Amino acid sequence: MRNFFHTLRIEWLKLKYYRTFWILLSVIVVCIPAFNYVIYDFTDNSFPKINGQNLLGNPFSFPNVWKTVPYNAGILLFMPAILIITLFTNEYSYRTHRQNIIDGWSRTRFIHIKIIEVFLLTLFVTVIVILTCLYFGFLTRTPSQPKAGWQEFRFIFYFFVEMLDYSLIALFFAMLIRRAGLAMGIFFLYMIVEQFVVSLGRNKYKVTWVDYLPEEVSDRLIPQPFTRRMISPANNSLWEKHVPLYLSIAVLYIIIYIFIVSWRFRKADL
Amino acid sequence: MTPILSLKNIDKSYGRIQALKGVSFDVPQGSVFGILGPNGSGKTTLLGIVMDVLASNGGSYSWFGNPPSEKQRREIGTLLETPNFYHYLSAQHNLEITAAIKQKPVADIERVLKLVRLYERKDSKFQTYSLGMKQRLAIASCLIGNPSVLVFDEPTNGLDPAGIAEIRELIIDLSAGGKTIILASHLLAEVEKVCTHVAILQQGVLIKSGDVKSALSQEEWMELGSADMEKLKEILDRLPGVNKIISSGNHFQVYFNAPAPDPGWLNVHCFEQGIALNYLQTRKESLESAFIELTNNVSN
Repeated sequence: MRNFFHTLRIEWLKLKYYRTFWILLSVIVVCIPAFNYVIYDFTDNSFPKINGQNLLGNPFSFPNVWKTVPYNAGILLFMPAILIITLFTNEYSYRTHRQNIIDGWSRTRFIHIKIIEVFLLTLFVTVIVILTCLYFGFLTRTPSQPKAGWQEFRFIFYFFVEMLDYSLIALFFAMLIRRAGLAMGIFFLYMIVEQFVVSLGRNKYKVTWVDYLPEEVSDRLIPQPFTRRMISPANNSLWEKHVPLYLSIAVLYIIIYIFIVSWRFRKADL
Repeated sequence: MTPILSLKNIDKSYGRIQALKGVSFDVPQGSVFGILGPNGSGKTTLLGIVMDVLASNGGSYSWFGNPPSEKQRREIGTLLETPNFYHYLSAQHNLEITAAIKQKPVADIERVLKLVRLYERKDSKFQTYSLGMKQRLAIASCLIGNPSVLVFDEPTNGLDPAGIAEIRELIIDLSAGGKTIILASHLLAEVEKVCTHVAILQQGVLIKSGDVKSALSQEEWMELGSADMEKLKEILDRLPGVNKIISSGNHFQVYFNAPAPDPGWLNVHCFEQGIALNYLQTRKESLESAFIELTNNVSN
């Protein structure tokens, strides 16, 4: 355990004075609530109100907010991915990944601390998402609905899994490609291509396996919350039935990414 | 005595290109061990393997008589190829990372920065340093924690003549302090001045290894001149141990099978035979010529 904190402290020394890290982290911290506020403002003012009730319901009220904010934050997951790619490819550009090993780290220690950093960043962003949920939940609270509605808190966990999936894909591309610009390009290309394959597979060829592709399966953990009222209860129960499968496959992808990234770093020429 | 580093049949290939072919040698304790070879001969690949940044395709190596480990590397100061530091951090902060990885006291940073004359620039970012300063910082990083073994790969790259001389002095001082130094270089003059032992690589093959004198035997000859060259030739022909005599204008080049005789004795000998020498010089083949001769012989 002492060794773990010692290694973590060294990673902190690398980040403490790195301005780009602080800028990108601040952008994430600001954008999650700001983007949610834009959506909140849009949903609140752009749809007709019937008997004082919004057509879309109250997506930013408890308990719906636990689903709405993570869903919106999910759209911004490319931001932490950019941060991860930047930090990891820096080690390659400066060749410090070699120097850290030469100076006395094992390859395993180096790659494991990077994976732990991804976990910690995911945890940090999840905390931002929770705070954003609480802010909007209390902002839209009415006297008749005073409680925080913890029953939908599970979406926070689903967000954690979704972000971990995205972040580990980013780490994987960073390690494989080694150059920041190219790795980001390939990462975005992959996201677009997967969405294209999913649309094509689902709508044209009527195949279901596309639902289990890495990005799609983690996206499916948090369904689109705004048209809840228009979707039939049957669809909702079908999603509920599939959640354990989506979750298991998303976690399986996380395990596979960790395994591949660790294995490759331990075996490759650095 | 257990060698500091022992290599056994190290193989390494990059696709079809075999960078190292069955390289084996030992680095004795307390030596300044030069790894010599032209560019692309496999020197850096070899050091990359023993520092665990490259994976070998065969063979094994040991440090201090034990299988390699991260703990051992913390006791070795290594500069491999280029200085590798975080560009956005100052020298001080970069060395704090090195000290933390090596588990050495941060207090040692001041000493090593002063040693390489970078203390006044310790708070400047690495990216503002000149090539020579970067190289000196890398050497400072190697010296953190006063390791007993140092590995330098082309340590004088980017340094000016004064910087090269300084590093040479530093290596000699460190060696005098009992440290083992492994030095990869293609600069033979540099190696000649500091190394006690060498391993010579060519196209991934170890040509020779051992102490400098036996591995790179440098031929010696004498040059003699006199007003009476014919008489001098007669005397030299009768001299025991002479291998060949080459006439070179106003003097003879005399090569010996055994070590060349003492020039003082030779001068007296000629005088006793009735010849006064007007030119007498002992010559030695340069290390560069010996190296080229050796590598050419292997190529042929």
